[in-house]
Amino acid sequence: MSPEKEPRHPFATRLTRERVQESVMFGLLRGMTFFVLFCAAFLFWDIISKGSSKVFEGDELINWEFLTEHPQTLHVIGEGEDEIKLSSSNYYKLKDEKMLNKWGEFRQSDEHDPARRELAARFSQLQNEWALESLLVADEKFLVRERENAANKFAFWKEMLADPKTTAEDFEIKVEEVPSMVTQFMLGHFEKERGRLSLVDEKVTLFRARHYPKIENLSTAHAEEVEKAYLAFLAKIPEAYNQSVAAFGGEITNSYDEFVQTEGPKEFGRFAEALVAYSAARNVLLGPDHDLENWEDLQASLAPFKQAMAVSLPSKDYAYSGGGIFPAIIGTLLLVIGAMAIAIVLGVFCAIFLAEYGKAGKFLSMVRLAILNLAGVPSIIFGLFGFGLFVIFLDWNVSLLAGWFTLAFMVLPIVITASEEALRSIPQGFRESSLALGATKWTMIKTSVLPFAMPGILTSSILGVARAAGETAPIMFTAAYAKRSDLPWEGLEHWTDFFFQGVMALPYHIYVVSAKIPQNAYTADMQYGTAFVFLLLVVGVASLSIILRNRLRKKYRW
Amino acid sequence: MQEAITTSPASSPTTEEVDSVDPAIRIRDLDFLYGSNQVIHNVSLDIFPKEVMAFIGPSGCGKSTLLRCLNRMNDLVDGARIGKGSIEIHGVDLHDKSVDVIELRKRVGMVFQKSNPFPKSIYQNVAYGLQIQGVKSKRVVDQKVEESLRKAALWEEVKDRLNENAYGLSGGQQQRLCIARTLAVEPEIILMDEPCSALDPVATGRVEELILELKNEYTIVVVTHNMQQAGRISDRTAFFYLGKLIECDLTKKIFLNPSKQQTEDYISGKFG
Repeated sequence: MSPEKEPRHPFATRLTRERVQESVMFGLLRGMTFFVLFCAAFLFWDIISKGSSKVFEGDELINWEFLTEHPQTLHVIGEGEDEIKLSSSNYYKLKDEKMLNKWGEFRQSDEHDPARRELAARFSQLQNEWALESLLVADEKFLVRERENAANKFAFWKEMLADPKTTAEDFEIKVEEVPSMVTQFMLGHFEKERGRLSLVDEKVTLFRARHYPKIENLSTAHAEEVEKAYLAFLAKIPEAYNQSVAAFGGEITNSYDEFVQTEGPKEFGRFAEALVAYSAARNVLLGPDHDLENWEDLQASLAPFKQAMAVSLPSKDYAYSGGGIFPAIIGTLLLVIGAMAIAIVLGVFCAIFLAEYGKAGKFLSMVRLAILNLAGVPSIIFGLFGFGLFVIFLDWNVSLLAGWFTLAFMVLPIVITASEEALRSIPQGFRESSLALGATKWTMIKTSVLPFAMPGILTSSILGVARAAGETAPIMFTAAYAKRSDLPWEGLEHWTDFFFQGVMALPYHIYVVSAKIPQNAYTADMQYGTAFVFLLLVVGVASLSIILRNRLRKKYRW
Repeated sequence: MQEAITTSPASSPTTEEVDSVDPAIRIRDLDFLYGSNQVIHNVSLDIFPKEVMAFIGPSGCGKSTLLRCLNRMNDLVDGARIGKGSIEIHGVDLHDKSVDVIELRKRVGMVFQKSNPFPKSIYQNVAYGLQIQGVKSKRVVDQKVEESLRKAALWEEVKDRLNENAYGLSGGQQQRLCIARTLAVEPEIILMDEPCSALDPVATGRVEELILELKNEYTIVVVTHNMQQAGRISDRTAFFYLGKLIECDLTKKIFLNPSKQQTEDYISGKFG
């Protein structure tokens, strides 16, 4: 630009310091804002594009399996183009189908009838064995054997107690430690007995508990007393055992009858299972030296059928990469709704006290300061606080209730501050005219302050919803399970149990899948899908509160 | 308007009559403070049944504070208290421990400077006072709402839209709605704190007419900045200055022949 062409008049543009500053600042401000926008856009685009591919995967418009199923192991069959992705439930369904086919083929084949006859013969042999060997005879032998065993054990222990010096030398311990060592032996023995006599384990446990003081404070006299009691106790076992064995026998006969009728693989499976359970009880009752010939014959005759049931469907398994996130969606909804209900009730009551009843002064400003500080506490601290107070001290365990209160305390500062603000923004005239018409203070608040402040309170709670739904740290110790097969309303013994169960939650699920589960080609999909659904959920809950707020606003405007 | 001015002195009690009637409100030697700031100094004043008493005076002279003492609305203000003296209504000291402030406020209604109906329907506004007292019967409430609206000369204007939001009414209608709302709880004394200061002249005229009608049934105390208004509607006028009661007499006398120089200066517009 040549100097001649430059216009020369008082308002001509000149390159002054202020002008440079102006344009630099403008560029800086715009650049930073665009940078923030770009980052936010990238984040949302990332979640939405990758997440929606999971949610809208498959033949149908929406991948319903992802939204309605439990998280499952993903089974991938085949490779490359032909690979089939199946969640556990579908995989096992497919396997069942294959098994049914194989079973059907077996039934059509020539091998079936001989095998069937063989099994029938062996089974009736076993039944004869029961009839011949009256269980009472077995009882007597059983009792003699058991008593002998017990007496031997006790004799050994009493010996150790009677001669502590030798015992101490043998075991290289101090003399005064001998009784406590024998106590350990005795407790260990009862523990073993409980496992061996599994059909009456409760009775053994009860016996041990009843005599625990004597066992703990062991002396020769005490050992003798315990022995006497134990020998008496053993007399009660055969009857209980017989009842259980009879029940097992009934179960075996029933399942066999059913198998005979249907000739189906499931029924055969039940029959085989019942035999296994029975054999354990039988071995205890008949003793180790019993003749096992019939038993082994029977087992051999089962083999062709077991062969017909065995199918293989080779697959690569990826934990947590299949199925869906339904329990986590439900859990998050429950957590958010409960926490917000508690936070709004607590928060509004606090705010009413602060705004309407509290007299301005040091105490009130301290309370306000405390509340504001609370808002700055990291969420993991709230998690630990909830864990200490609700889970441990109040003994609520990892439960919905503990999670509700923890989350509620976390969003409480937001709710209190904003509710107080909303209450204060109600014109003083409403309060005065209400009081002048003869209202008490509470009536005044209830009828002519709170309803009009509700839109403002709800606005604040929207912020709370997003925060409560999104936090992982406060619930990871208090309410969230990494995996739970029951939905919150399933398997409740009493309705109060509902509040004392842990749930799955979306943010915690994302954390578990991305931080704890070994990563593979299929977990990333799962995380993005979960994040996307989570985003939609928060938007949904927030929109609900916005709609509610707008309705109230329309109703009460002044 | 003209008619109002001529009728008002005629129906007002003469000085002799006043002496023979028991006052509805008796204020004696009242000092009133906000914290350490004394805003009312040694005021003694009687207000008689079924008269309209106007409080006039420049801003900050304590007239509104005195009015709010009469139904103890000042209780709401932190640090507000009575220094000495008493306020009695029918011989009962308002600050006696046995006085229930809720009952007092039902008997002594109040209309505020800024019309402040609740953001609810017209009907709900008038019914509010009854509903908080626990009146459930729809028939009773309906009847009372109509009666109060009629008394407040608003019935004809709103009877077809009782369920519409009160904020759809004009400013003057809103103020009359507030008066109707006060009437519904059947007070005996009505306190009005500059009821027309936010209204245009036409709406003001209607409210003034209403006040003149109401004084047949109620004792009315009006605080006003507008001296012409005091002249039009009140039987007697009290002039306050710097927290002191300068003069209280028949309105006619205050305006035509005040006995204190300060009153005359204020009336004639020399200050304030």
